[in-house]
Amino acid sequence: MEKRFYFVFGDLLSNLVAGGLVGLICAAVFSSSWNMIIAMVVGMALGMLIALIVTVALFLMLFGAMEIMIPNMLTGMVVGMIISMAASMHEVPLLTGLQDGAMVGFIVFIIIYCLQSRMSGKVNLTETGSGE
Amino acid sequence: MDTATRDKWDKTSKRYDLMVSKGAEKRWEPSKRDLYSHMKGKILFLALGTGLDIALFPVGLDITCIDISPKMLEQAQPRVAAYDGTMVAHCMDVHDMEFDDNSFDQIYTACTFCSVPDPINGLKSLARVLKPGGVMRMFEHTGSTLFPFNLMMNIMTPLSSISGPEMNRKTVDNVRAAGFKVTEVDNVFLDVVKTITANLPK
Repeated sequence: MEKRFYFVFGDLLSNLVAGGLVGLICAAVFSSSWNMIIAMVVGMALGMLIALIVTVALFLMLFGAMEIMIPNMLTGMVVGMIISMAASMHEVPLLTGLQDGAMVGFIVFIIIYCLQSRMSGKVNLTETGSGE
Repeated sequence: MDTATRDKWDKTSKRYDLMVSKGAEKRWEPSKRDLYSHMKGKILFLALGTGLDIALFPVGLDITCIDISPKMLEQAQPRVAAYDGTMVAHCMDVHDMEFDDNSFDQIYTACTFCSVPDPINGLKSLARVLKPGGVMRMFEHTGSTLFPFNLMMNIMTPLSSISGPEMNRKTVDNVRAAGFKVTEVDNVFLDVVKTITANLPK
């Protein structure tokens, strides 16, 4: 599991930024004129795309590859889904979108670190077959 | 020679170090250094790329490197020349290697089989040049078994493969399908970035 401060900081920062930005954009794009299910699906795809672009443009060169891309895309997907669904039911202020998005980014950061602490190390090949 | 793959990596060669040397390579350095610490005998390393991994190799070894991209090898040349041991680098496609059968004691790969177009046949080519009982050690990123990571990686692969690797390869299964016996898989990040150790049965 990653313990070097530079990379832990990078993981946290990139999740906060990706989540905040996706939340902000989804709060701006979606409104009560959207059907809730369609807003949720479109928001999820839009969130993943925005998170991927932010990751490649800002964080990939500095902090890693899969270790940055996968958590950030998960953050983008979840934030896109939640904020767009909420915005289709009632108005979501931009600042709320930003804050809630960053909060989800933080939660994803914690979840990934918990998963990583369980999964890192040797794979039991007799149990899993391939590990893939 | 697979010219599509060669051209893709030729195009990436100029910016490759900038893209990966500070982030991914620094992050993976401890795991790679540990993997390479097992190097001994006559070694085949692929794909060399710009040679960033050379700094992590133990000194004094006999290492033959290949890469499909001549532009990548141009960038790697100063690092090859600076290696404190015997190192040669060839521009070669893994599917079509010019080495004799049973030429190498060990084979090492780093982020290679995410990009080889026909991975099982590529691995079979490695089995041909590896001595019976020889060891292959790989540092690779693969697809994930976990939802929603597997979904995300399947979505990303058509995009990422335009200028670089595929994200959803089943490399451990491919190693087995090529005739190797997988003896160890060590997860580095989730079940995505991993080291794989495999033996070629005698």
